[in-house]
Amino acid sequence: MVLSFAIIAGTLFSAQYLAGGARQSLENGMNMMGADIMVVPDKYAAASQAVILTGEPTTFFFNDTGFEKISQIPGVAKASPEIYVATLYGQACCAGPVQIIAIDPNRDFTIATWLKENPGVTLGKDDIIVGSAITGDIGSDLLFYGHTFHIVGRLARTGMGLDMAVFTRIEDAYTMANESGVKAVRKLTIPQGMVSAVLIRTEPGSSPAGIADEIKQRVPGTKTLTPNGLLSTIAGQLGGITSFLYGSTIAVTLISIPLLGSISAMVAHEKKKENAILQALGATKSFIVKLIMVESFSLASIGALTGIGIAALILIGFQDYIAFTLKIPFAIPSPLTILVYAGSALLLSVVIGGIASLYPAYLITRSEPYETMRKGES
Amino acid sequence: MSIDKTVNVYGALLVLLGIIIILTPWIIFPVCEMEGSYVVTAAGAKLPMTCGWTARAETGIGALIVIAGGLLIARSTRETRQAVGIFTIAMGALVILFPTLLIGMCKVATHPCRMTTLPALEILGVIVIIVGGYLVWKPE
Repeated sequence: MVLSFAIIAGTLFSAQYLAGGARQSLENGMNMMGADIMVVPDKYAAASQAVILTGEPTTFFFNDTGFEKISQIPGVAKASPEIYVATLYGQACCAGPVQIIAIDPNRDFTIATWLKENPGVTLGKDDIIVGSAITGDIGSDLLFYGHTFHIVGRLARTGMGLDMAVFTRIEDAYTMANESGVKAVRKLTIPQGMVSAVLIRTEPGSSPAGIADEIKQRVPGTKTLTPNGLLSTIAGQLGGITSFLYGSTIAVTLISIPLLGSISAMVAHEKKKENAILQALGATKSFIVKLIMVESFSLASIGALTGIGIAALILIGFQDYIAFTLKIPFAIPSPLTILVYAGSALLLSVVIGGIASLYPAYLITRSEPYETMRKGES
Repeated sequence: MSIDKTVNVYGALLVLLGIIIILTPWIIFPVCEMEGSYVVTAAGAKLPMTCGWTARAETGIGALIVIAGGLLIARSTRETRQAVGIFTIAMGALVILFPTLLIGMCKVATHPCRMTTLPALEILGVIVIIVGGYLVWKPE
């Protein structure tokens, strides 16, 4: 019985936790980026999503400089161009495989917001602000394409690709590319005047979806990514596993109710004499029914808490592996949200426990203590 | 001297946990060198990454936990149980401390040792500590 409750609560909690963690991560990341729309080259839309969601490093550029038109579209409050460069892996010139995001400090609003919150930090020449998962202490140096960068700040964890990114200024990225022919094992080319993506903050009250459509019409060859679109992508990637977990919860619940009812009835039958003695000693039928229900609720609670505990231990311990395998952004939901998930899983188990105890309780109310004891039922 | 069957069960559990701890960094959730990743020196020599040294330390700790379990099975007196319990708590703490503080794992968050070996060893360490605590606390 305890195992059934543990499975029901554990699977329900896992499904809620995974979906909630992905949503939380997307919320953290989009809040940090501060963008309502992201404009990327059409043929690199999937690669751009991978950069944002899971931090898979990549290098790409628009074919022309048409991004300038974007800032003139009505409803666009701010447009910030960015250059994406994937660093080399396993080479002496590079500290590791990370995504360099070069920004224009005069137009940027992602790092600018963070810099406002950290007034002592400035993004100067060869300075970088690193994501939470990047190795290296503040004040230390990192080498990319043979160029030495100096870490001046670290962003908070989002669970998204931003955690694996390094932010620097566009002019430093050009310097790094120019030097790479001599200093790096492979030359990096950043086409002058080309950018990889444009982040857009819309004017208050305007429709991001409408502006996104306008951008696609005015600047051919572009694809627009919005938070809602990214959420749909994540939902698609998570769909299989959450459907499986929710399906398992429903299946186990449906199988458990009659099974637990039968087990409870058998236990109640075995305890008939014990209950009859209690009744003979003055216990009322309602007291006996309460006793059965309390026993059932206790078993349900112990089972549910065990299942939730084991699920939480595995989900929290292996969260990076789960996010990496499912290719989803993932952040631990807030303690209050976790409590809500655990509470709902516990509640479901207790309700099932209550339903399962109804039949044995009904049997008790129909039995006569004298008859039970006379028949010698154990 | 009385033979306590439940203590023998916990002895067997410790033997099993010790074997799992030995196998975790090499087979169950392998560290980077099992995936072919090494630190290559300027002279071209291949050295284990940080996680490789942790794996070796965990092998030693796992072996000690197997011996502790065997001791409990062989001699299940109250004194042995409590001594093994204290020893087990300390070893459980070391199972967690080697990959987190004493030696560590690779610094890159996407390395297999960080994504799978580390959480697996942390969970195993917690289980070993709980078993050790139960052996110390267990009423007669």
